[in-house]
Amino acid sequence: MKIWTSVHHAVTALVLTVGLMAPALAADSVTNVGKQVPINILINASPWYGGFEKVTELYQKQTGNKVSLDVTPYNGMLEKARNAVRGDKSPYDILNIDTAWTIEFYKGGFLKPLTQIQPGYAMPKQVFTCGGSYYWNAQKQWRTPVGGELMAVPPNCNTQVLVYRKDLFKAAKLAPPKTFDEVLDDCKKLQKPGLYGYVTRGERGNGIWYDFLPFLYAYGGSEVADPENGDFTSTLNSPKALAALDKFIEIEKTCAPANRGAIGQADVIQLMATGNVAMAQVVIAAWPYFENPTKSVVVGKIAAVENPSVAGGKPGVPMGNWHFAVPKNIPEANQKAALAFMKWFLTKDAQMAYAKAGGIPVRSDVMAELSKEPKYAWMAAYKQSLEDAVQPIGYAEGAAVEDVMGLRLNQALIGQKSPAAALNTAAAEIEAIFKKNGRKTGHLPPLPQ
Amino acid sequence: MGVNRQSATPALGQGGNGVRAEAKRKKQSDRLFRYATLMPAVIALVIFTVYPMLNLLQMSVSTITFAHGGAVWQFTPLANLAKLRDDSVFLATLRNTLVFVVVSVAIEMTLGFALAVAVSALGRFKGLIRSVMILPILVPPVAIGSMWKLMYNYNFGIFNQMLAWFGLGPVGWLSDPNLALVSVIIVDIWHWTPFVFLILFAGVEGLPREVIEAARVDGANNWQIVRKIILPLMGPAIAVAFIFRSILAFKVFDQIFLLTSGGPGTATEVVSLLLYRVFFAQNDMGYGALLSLVVIAMIVAFLLGARRMVAGRA
Repeated sequence: MKIWTSVHHAVTALVLTVGLMAPALAADSVTNVGKQVPINILINASPWYGGFEKVTELYQKQTGNKVSLDVTPYNGMLEKARNAVRGDKSPYDILNIDTAWTIEFYKGGFLKPLTQIQPGYAMPKQVFTCGGSYYWNAQKQWRTPVGGELMAVPPNCNTQVLVYRKDLFKAAKLAPPKTFDEVLDDCKKLQKPGLYGYVTRGERGNGIWYDFLPFLYAYGGSEVADPENGDFTSTLNSPKALAALDKFIEIEKTCAPANRGAIGQADVIQLMATGNVAMAQVVIAAWPYFENPTKSVVVGKIAAVENPSVAGGKPGVPMGNWHFAVPKNIPEANQKAALAFMKWFLTKDAQMAYAKAGGIPVRSDVMAELSKEPKYAWMAAYKQSLEDAVQPIGYAEGAAVEDVMGLRLNQALIGQKSPAAALNTAAAEIEAIFKKNGRKTGHLPPLPQ
Repeated sequence: MGVNRQSATPALGQGGNGVRAEAKRKKQSDRLFRYATLMPAVIALVIFTVYPMLNLLQMSVSTITFAHGGAVWQFTPLANLAKLRDDSVFLATLRNTLVFVVVSVAIEMTLGFALAVAVSALGRFKGLIRSVMILPILVPPVAIGSMWKLMYNYNFGIFNQMLAWFGLGPVGWLSDPNLALVSVIIVDIWHWTPFVFLILFAGVEGLPREVIEAARVDGANNWQIVRKIILPLMGPAIAVAFIFRSILAFKVFDQIFLLTSGGPGTATEVVSLLLYRVFFAQNDMGYGALLSLVVIAMIVAFLLGARRMVAGRA
């Protein structure tokens, strides 16, 4: 009996000790979010959605708090978010906003700064700031941590990488390309009937706009002179931008499928996953598809490197990150519940679960740990890309400028306009957009057509 | 008879003023009743139709921005007009819309009429064939877009696979700027010909059989019966189908959005898609409102033209 009493005391002591230690152990974990009201999240049906869905299930299981998701195709996201914040009460407690749209929401005063929900809140230092787009400096009208308020947190820091078939490269005794000229040479060598050399998005709109940016940035071009400091001179028709567009079109015409002007993200992923292409420039978020044996025939055959550059230059890597933000027009309890979820989501444990379920983690410690495993070798290319990545559009007219570039670049790709004419037209239209909003703008001399 | 008339006249003369006054009062009362009963409908019309139109008009002469958590309106009457004048995409969308409306409606009307006459002439299985033929109207537009996009797929689509069986190379059904609009029109014809068929089939079925039989007894052949009897008698049904289809074709959005989103370039961009881009991608409410008014004006002009054409023929 005495023995049993001693055992009982020992077990009680152990339970108490573990119980007392738990908050410390879980300081970066799940138990401290408290009981929260149910929240509704507007989330996009992007390739990384599967990982996010799993991690929200984990949140509900671990905390008992309820989360519902409104899964929406990319094309419907902006309008749902706009309608939510412009009404009396948002149906969503967390909005997921693409980087090009953020300014409209920041500047319009539709979001609750996170430090106003919880004074002093800051993202964990291991979380990537993805070019600083989560902070809004209202005085400067620019997204920057310098003097900016924290408005959102990252569900991912999506960047592009060059995904290639390592088996084909090995068989052809080729090293992965580092420049666009090497991409062209390699794709010529690798392509054959039934196998395209290279593919990227060429469809009108966000697709071609975003996938042309690596070329534009690598060649030293830009669409606007210096928006951070108020110079909105339209620079898309510079000789550097023309060189970038010429190279983009040359690679596309030489190595991509003939329907290049209509290829979207689903097509790029499908072509790579079905083993029909040797190289693809694609967002890192697509990676889980390629490694899913039920959807892909190239499992274990692919690798990723950072985007190519121009010889001797830096790679062009546009950030394509998303933003979890809290609308202003929801009750305080919902704002707190939204922030509680975000804080939980950014913990190491949650990020680890997110990555393992097919999500793209946003913590450096998670990536450092996982990238040692062969299954997550792509994270090295992603991490390198993040270091070189830049935010593509940092002004309120972002969506309109993207729309203009999306049309004119597509016209150049399909031959409706010459590259020079397409860039001249786009530059003039971008200038008109800024002029209408009273920006200090101007234009470069037109390129010879 | 004369006596009666004479005896009746004084009676009318005596009571005539009273009857007339009574009739006048009744007429006024009827008019009041009509106004009173119509008033709720008029008020509803003003609230739900006229007010939105006035609002659209106000938007079209304004620049609307969103700041400080709300909308800010500025009166800029010429800015949107200047934008319309300089908008090269608008001209392309106008051309595409007109081509789309004329080609698709013409083919749908012809096919729909031919099918209506052919099915009506069948002795058996008429109901079954009619039911099967209207299936495309019942398919949701999203399913239509996905289905046809898959069939048109450059690498995996059934059309290109069929071409490959004959040793032919793949065709960029939705990516070739010279072919994309045709591909979209084909889908529209597949989707909406059954609608025309349904209206015209009901018209053909309602035709007086004895007239057709009499013509046949008089030696008229099938073509003569169609041209000289069926077509003229079907005028009202054809006009209804034509006007409905034309209005819907002017406003086409979903199937083009799902198949090509207006691309490649501006090859399949119609006015409704431009409106969507201006309102939702560019967030330019004022210019979007002006474009909406232009579309409304186009449809009204088209309807008036069609009405005049029909009246001229009548």
